[in-house]
Amino acid sequence: TSTTVCILVDSRCISSSADLMSDLRQHHSVNVHVCSLDGSYFVLSNRTAAERHSQSELASMQNRKRLVERVNSLQGLFERVCFIVEKDRTKPGEVGRLFQRTRYFDSTLASLVHAGVRLLWSDGAQDSARLLADLAQLEQRKGQAIAVPLEVRGQHRQQALQFYLALPGVGYVHALHMCHNFISVAQFINSTIEAIQKGGVMSRSRAEEVYRCIRYSCDSFLLNTSTAKKKS
Amino acid sequence: MAAAAAVTAAPPYGHVIGHEKWRDSALIQHIKGAGVKVVFEKELGVVDFLLPNRSSVLYVSECDIIAGNSYKRKLVRFRNANGSGVQALALAERTRLSEQYFSSLQKFVVFDLGLTLLPVSGQPEASQLISQMVLSEGRDNPFRKRSVARLYEPQLLLLLQQIPGVGGVKASALLHSFSSLQEICSARLPQLEPLVGQASAQHILSFLHNHLV
Repeated sequence: TSTTVCILVDSRCISSSADLMSDLRQHHSVNVHVCSLDGSYFVLSNRTAAERHSQSELASMQNRKRLVERVNSLQGLFERVCFIVEKDRTKPGEVGRLFQRTRYFDSTLASLVHAGVRLLWSDGAQDSARLLADLAQLEQRKGQAIAVPLEVRGQHRQQALQFYLALPGVGYVHALHMCHNFISVAQFINSTIEAIQKGGVMSRSRAEEVYRCIRYSCDSFLLNTSTAKKKS
Repeated sequence: MAAAAAVTAAPPYGHVIGHEKWRDSALIQHIKGAGVKVVFEKELGVVDFLLPNRSSVLYVSECDIIAGNSYKRKLVRFRNANGSGVQALALAERTRLSEQYFSSLQKFVVFDLGLTLLPVSGQPEASQLISQMVLSEGRDNPFRKRSVARLYEPQLLLLLQQIPGVGGVKASALLHSFSSLQEICSARLPQLEPLVGQASAQHILSFLHNHLV
């Protein structure tokens, strides 16, 4: 019914989500584009990302620190962050162990929900593929689909892409837009907040942070300590 | 109107406001057992529970799901009863019997209505989840994005190193002399050369000023 949607996938997902990716292509006719993101997640629109987690990952206390890092980093780059919570896979022949719902698991869910992470429940890779495709289509109906050319040709453009990605709060889709919308890196650096917002197809607050960073006046003492910290 | 007023009055910490109809339920017994205090209220309308953190809960039972469409109307009313700023949560019984409807329920609740869906196996699990939601309110939430006044020095040092020919030493030298990225961008060759050498100065200028589009 709707036109093809595009989903960006981190290259790490090629090994972890191979079946899901081919399902997206074959059964949901999604344009799956592999690129190098800062974690193994899916970009569904200009503002939305989704990450797969198994129930047992969310239930494990050992995993807490990593989970907090993932949520904080995704929320830094996206307005909407979805977690697809998958039932744990059982090997063929193995009797499915009943997932014990601990207080810790429920408190993790409570914290995620309060932090604004959207939770979706999945039975496995196939189900997750369907959820990802549905979400991407929903975002398309809301005018948020990834509609920027995905190919970045030429060395200079590749370098500019990496430069934009190193800016605070700038994710892959923002950086792609910036590569295509600013005539040069200098034009971007001399842009107003409004022009950054428009050129990067990003929220006002994100554009404000980028603007602050461009004009930020470095402190010599802090520069020395940042360099020293890197050397040690 | 009374229902709307009750919805906006959040219970104090450690308390749940529950709809009168839940008074004798197993769910309430378990919540009390977990140390959460329950206050009953007749005027909650479609809402089943109010939690301290501006969350409002609708409970969708196995029966509701299997019986069919009336729960959908209830969900829509539930969504409309909760103003902005209230987190609307639908707790749905996902059991062996309701399993086959779960996927379409999720689509309706999450995609069509934009509510949060939390599956539970039954009232005991729901009570544990509600208790944790109430009790976690008093704790620090590590997942919540904290906006702190940022110092950009480390980030700018890494950013400049994305320019071909610029490493840590040159990035630091540039920021020491020009202080901001914007000032580096307006620098000319004679100003850059003494800092980073002729070749790098050329690289920086062409990286910044050559056309990309």
